[in-house]
Amino acid sequence: MKNPDTPVIGLTLGDATGIGPELVVKAFQDENTRTLASWVLVGDKRVLLQAQALANLTLDVKEIDRVEEIGREAGTIHLIDLQNMNPENYELGKLSNESGKVTGETLQYVLQLAKDKHIEGVMYAPLNKEALHRGGHHFQDELHFFADLLDCKEGFSEINVMEDLWVTRVTSHIPLKNVSDNISKEKVMERIRFAHDTLTTAGYNAPKIVVAALNPHAGEGGMLGNEEIDSIIPAINEMKEAGINVTGPYPADTLFLRLSKDPFDCLLAMYHDQAQTGMKLLGFNKGVTMSGGLPVTLTTPAHGTAFDIAGKGIADPGATKEAVKMVVQMSSNRKAYQTQLDQ
Amino acid sequence: MSRKPIIGITMGDGAGVGPEIIVKSLNDEVFDQAIPLVIGDQKRLETAAEMLSSDLALKKVGVEDDFNPSDGDVLCLDLDLLPDELPFGEVSKEAGHAAFAYLKTAIELANKGKIDAICTAPLNKEALHKGGHHYPGHTEILAELTQTRDFAMMLSSPKLKVIHVTTHIGLRDAIDRIEPNRVYDVVKMAHDTLSQSGIKQPKIAVCGINPHAGENGLFGYGEEEEKVIPGVERAQGQGIDVIGPLPADTLFFRAVRGDFDIVVAMYHDQGHGPIKVLGLDAGVNITVGLPIIRTSVDHGTAFDIAGQGIADEKSMLEAIRQAIELAPKREQ
Repeated sequence: MKNPDTPVIGLTLGDATGIGPELVVKAFQDENTRTLASWVLVGDKRVLLQAQALANLTLDVKEIDRVEEIGREAGTIHLIDLQNMNPENYELGKLSNESGKVTGETLQYVLQLAKDKHIEGVMYAPLNKEALHRGGHHFQDELHFFADLLDCKEGFSEINVMEDLWVTRVTSHIPLKNVSDNISKEKVMERIRFAHDTLTTAGYNAPKIVVAALNPHAGEGGMLGNEEIDSIIPAINEMKEAGINVTGPYPADTLFLRLSKDPFDCLLAMYHDQAQTGMKLLGFNKGVTMSGGLPVTLTTPAHGTAFDIAGKGIADPGATKEAVKMVVQMSSNRKAYQTQLDQ
Repeated sequence: MSRKPIIGITMGDGAGVGPEIIVKSLNDEVFDQAIPLVIGDQKRLETAAEMLSSDLALKKVGVEDDFNPSDGDVLCLDLDLLPDELPFGEVSKEAGHAAFAYLKTAIELANKGKIDAICTAPLNKEALHKGGHHYPGHTEILAELTQTRDFAMMLSSPKLKVIHVTTHIGLRDAIDRIEPNRVYDVVKMAHDTLSQSGIKQPKIAVCGINPHAGENGLFGYGEEEEKVIPGVERAQGQGIDVIGPLPADTLFFRAVRGDFDIVVAMYHDQGHGPIKVLGLDAGVNITVGLPIIRTSVDHGTAFDIAGQGIADEKSMLEAIRQAIELAPKREQ
């Protein structure tokens, strides 16, 4: 069924040596997932067949040769076979430089489709950072890889979603020693605004954002560090005045405890481990990681390539389905918003 | 068979909530597992018991006595330092001095091997100073009286134990304070404490400093290699079962799953965060590295509600439980 409102979403199989291909095959068995959008799966057909065999499932795809053949029929999975990865050349569950190289190249291809407006969002199956590096794609993380391909210099950030909790951070993959220098009033304000805009796009009305402190006991009035007084508090105050529903800074160790007492929608952390440790303890492996602040939304399941179970056919597609749902929702809302602006 | 540990419970500031939370905490569960010895003022404890309509029976003992109660009695080492009419909820030099004296007595008993752990009720800093004892708090008194230089803060929940290399210091400065000798000392303290408490060859895992524990130099200035690894290797060289540095975010997940007995955290929030995520509603601080295990409540004297019998004893009870758990296991 053709519908101009049906989003077209790009898909990749992720690193072929991991559980990614299997997850895609399994996730799209679900009719509710499959009919959310029209899909453009980019990868190697042989990898896809291998995954179908080990999951003992089939995935109906429509092979296409030209991008002009991409339609807007909800439920159709168009396959663009790049013929770039032969399963004979790698071993499941083993890190492969070659697979890292191809995983990156496939993402480059998909992002070009996005730049050319053939697709409106991307769900990529798990990739392996180290393989990507060894394969010659030298970026701090995939977020920076995407930003570079999409010609974005700033304003982008990773955001994690676990059920109804969104978590993002001011600094990410940088040395802990540099965190303090990277926390300025402007930077904190930018990320509060980013969180607000992202959740608003996702459909929240005045999303409630809480901000973590950097230092123990939130700095204890300057006794244990000054970043709260110098940067974080002024940033929160200014964003409050701008009408954003934001509070803090709160001692980082008690942040997740607040969830049960005084629920919030989004947590803004100051550094990587501050957010990730708590999230993982709460079962974030079942959550979704989103690259936000880019011209297209990209999502991926929060867990990794799970080399220990790759090839066994036992991978759980739950987080992949969530990532699919989220990219469709974000892309549709963005499109609706854009249409509104254009009118 | 190991015998019940003797837990020395210091009463803290007698004008605060200490007496009442002690009386409330001494229940059958505690008596089944330990011999509690309250070090304080018997009259004050009896006032608290009366206030709570508790039938707790206190039995006066001297420092030279054997601590061997008959059923139902709570041993009390009565220092008798508080004036009879001491009001609740007010700072006084008498109660401040008395709180210091209880602690000092506890340490003397520990030095003689007569108690196996100390559990402290809160003291009031201002009262302590008025009483002539100029210390920031319990830990510093304990360190000085036992001539201990190296100690560390540990937190414990049913599924996770964590010990800290640094604690109350800004994050920026914390990184500078981490160095191999300190990492080694903390690993060793973790090992010794858990070994004595009855865990054979405890499994210890050490957190990295940077995201992904530096990912082989990708994120960081080699702090893991420079500050953490030499300390870990030194401990390994002595046969301690320790690994790391590992990425903190996945390490805690694994520890909770049961892969490790204790995690060594590099800074305050790295260790406190996971413990609190696990829903610890009764906070307890543990000081290790002293000649004796010491646990304490994580709240103050609460002068605003002291003497009414309404103070919540959860933290005190948990502090006693953890003292019992960590007390060295001795043969009968």
